[in-house]
Amino acid sequence: MAFYDWLFDSLGLRAWCDGGKQDGPMSMAELLAKAKGKQAAEDGESFPFPSLDTLHEACGAMPRTREMTAGLEQLFLDVKDSLKIVLDPLTQPLSWMLDGALWLFASMPWWVLLPLLLLVCWSITRSLRVSVLVAVSFALLGFIDHLDSAVQTLSIIFVCTSISVVLGVPLGIAMSKSDRFQKATLPVLDLLQTLPSFVYLIPLIFLFSVTESKLYGIAIILYAIVPVIRLTDLGIRLVDRDVIEAADAFGMTNRQKLIGVEMPLALPNIMAGINQTIMMSLAMVVIASLVSAPGLGVLVLRGIRNLELGVGLVAGLGIVLLAVVLDRVSKAALDRVDKSKAGGL
Amino acid sequence: MDNKGSSSLMPQIRIRGLHKIFGPDPELMLEHVHNGVRKQELLADFGHVLGLRDINVDMKAGEITVIMGLSGSGKSTLIRHLNRLIEPTDGEILVDGEDVMKLDQSGLRELRRRKMSMVFQKFALLPHKSVLQNAATALEVRGHNDDEREGEARRWLARVGLEGYEDSFPHQLSGGMQQRVGIARALTANTDIMLMDEAFSALDPLIRTDMQDLLLELQSELHKTVVFITHDLDEAMKLADHLVILNEGEVVQQGEPQGILLKPADPYIEDFVSDINRARVLRVRSVMQSHSTGREIAGEVDHNDTLESLIAISGGDTTHNYRVMRDGKAVGELDMRDLVKALTPSVAARSFSER
Repeated sequence: MAFYDWLFDSLGLRAWCDGGKQDGPMSMAELLAKAKGKQAAEDGESFPFPSLDTLHEACGAMPRTREMTAGLEQLFLDVKDSLKIVLDPLTQPLSWMLDGALWLFASMPWWVLLPLLLLVCWSITRSLRVSVLVAVSFALLGFIDHLDSAVQTLSIIFVCTSISVVLGVPLGIAMSKSDRFQKATLPVLDLLQTLPSFVYLIPLIFLFSVTESKLYGIAIILYAIVPVIRLTDLGIRLVDRDVIEAADAFGMTNRQKLIGVEMPLALPNIMAGINQTIMMSLAMVVIASLVSAPGLGVLVLRGIRNLELGVGLVAGLGIVLLAVVLDRVSKAALDRVDKSKAGGL
Repeated sequence: MDNKGSSSLMPQIRIRGLHKIFGPDPELMLEHVHNGVRKQELLADFGHVLGLRDINVDMKAGEITVIMGLSGSGKSTLIRHLNRLIEPTDGEILVDGEDVMKLDQSGLRELRRRKMSMVFQKFALLPHKSVLQNAATALEVRGHNDDEREGEARRWLARVGLEGYEDSFPHQLSGGMQQRVGIARALTANTDIMLMDEAFSALDPLIRTDMQDLLLELQSELHKTVVFITHDLDEAMKLADHLVILNEGEVVQQGEPQGILLKPADPYIEDFVSDINRARVLRVRSVMQSHSTGREIAGEVDHNDTLESLIAISGGDTTHNYRVMRDGKAVGELDMRDLVKALTPSVAARSFSER
């Protein structure tokens, strides 16, 4: 005799309930109750919340909560194959790019790799201070034999950030041009930003094999693309109205306006977005080591799994060092952009 | 400026029955406005703002038309209708006989590129581009090559006195110099019509005077059709060939500025013009008599001299009588006593000019 029997009786659903009666697997609560004997079951709440499980007791046709989650899983499994047909070819290039980048950096000897990194750093920052920081950091990582892992992490970030920018900037522009599109996109961006990073991985593991690099690539991009979209949208919306009016008054086409006026004036904001995207890629690449992303994250994971305190700590500090380097380099690039038109507005 | 000949008869810009109502349903409100609902009532009862009501203005080619009004009078709204930066609710705007209202997107772009250029109150230069690139904006938009662009831009920058600043960036220049870039940008576009939206209002007084002189000097040479917006009556008097005074979205009076000063149409304008330095603004031609009085002539003055300069010539002696010359010919005489009368605003001036 369950508490909510009267509800189904009064609604005239008794026949439906009993008709659909089936003996599913026992829930943990039922198992416990059984173990403790009847006594325990009757000690239960006198007025339980009408949850799925409680209602199931009264009416066998009501699904239990675990049947709901199982149903969701089944649904996902059902659409998985058809989804894969579409997603697999679309995302395959991501695997190639990630594998390619990892292979490229791994096959470079350190005396080619380090000067190359410094050269890239110098060319985008023109800052001696930052370049020295980069040199010292990588020398340190090399000295403690973490250079390979760091470079793996770096190449994943490089690929994922590039793709985030390539996809995110046009999306941001589209958002800035259409209020309706912005309204539709913002909740999605909010979701991507707040969804716990581990939860990302769950549907991806179902969709792709853990041996494929695109699995972690997609997770990182989904997580890291948000700031560059948001800040591109914001940057373009913040462009001085007077300047836009002038562009219109001289008969610029929308394209001329976008390339010649809006993008350059929004560039500081876009760069700030890219900086954020890089930092978030780094945060995600560590978590993505759970699904076979190589790099420093793997060492952190080893530290946790095997309780190798030293390994985990050193790898963690290596990540901090990498974060500092990436942040300084992208900020220095941002400053350069700002300086070329400082005080202009 | 190839149509100068024909357009000296026809006004180059003709505005007919222009209305602008801001709000969710301007079309519906138009009826109320036609039925004589006032601006305040429209706002209070219907929640719509009446921007412009029944504007009719003709702007002649080669003249400076000044549209003057206090803030909120609709003058900036009006000038933005000429190149449709603001869409009108009702009415016609004819530029060289072509209705701007009927243009599609590409027609409108052509109009903005070939016929009208604009100078802005806050300069609105592109901060990330050099002075030279800014000046060449219009040509870049039209797709001219680098050499043409640079040549034209350099020429006009030199003309407005910015030689040597081509490679600077706007933020490195003072306000006055930035606006010179703005003017050079408009001139480089080489359009017949130049729209100037409070172009000098953001500048300090001395620089403003310089810029006004620059504009008049350029105008004597280029004969553009200039539409100039200002809230400053002295500036309006100095620049205008044709003065339009706006109040609350309506034209209160328009005509030759000297005429408006001497014959204000209503108390609002009377009030407006009473503070102005009349001796500096009024010219000999406006207060002279075109027939000979037969009195003794103390000297000759040009018809465009200001009364201020005549007072200086006469040494303050009100008994003199001057012959007024125009292009070497006598066109009338000026009694110093008439001059003194013209210096008193409103009533005195009105009774004088009715004589």
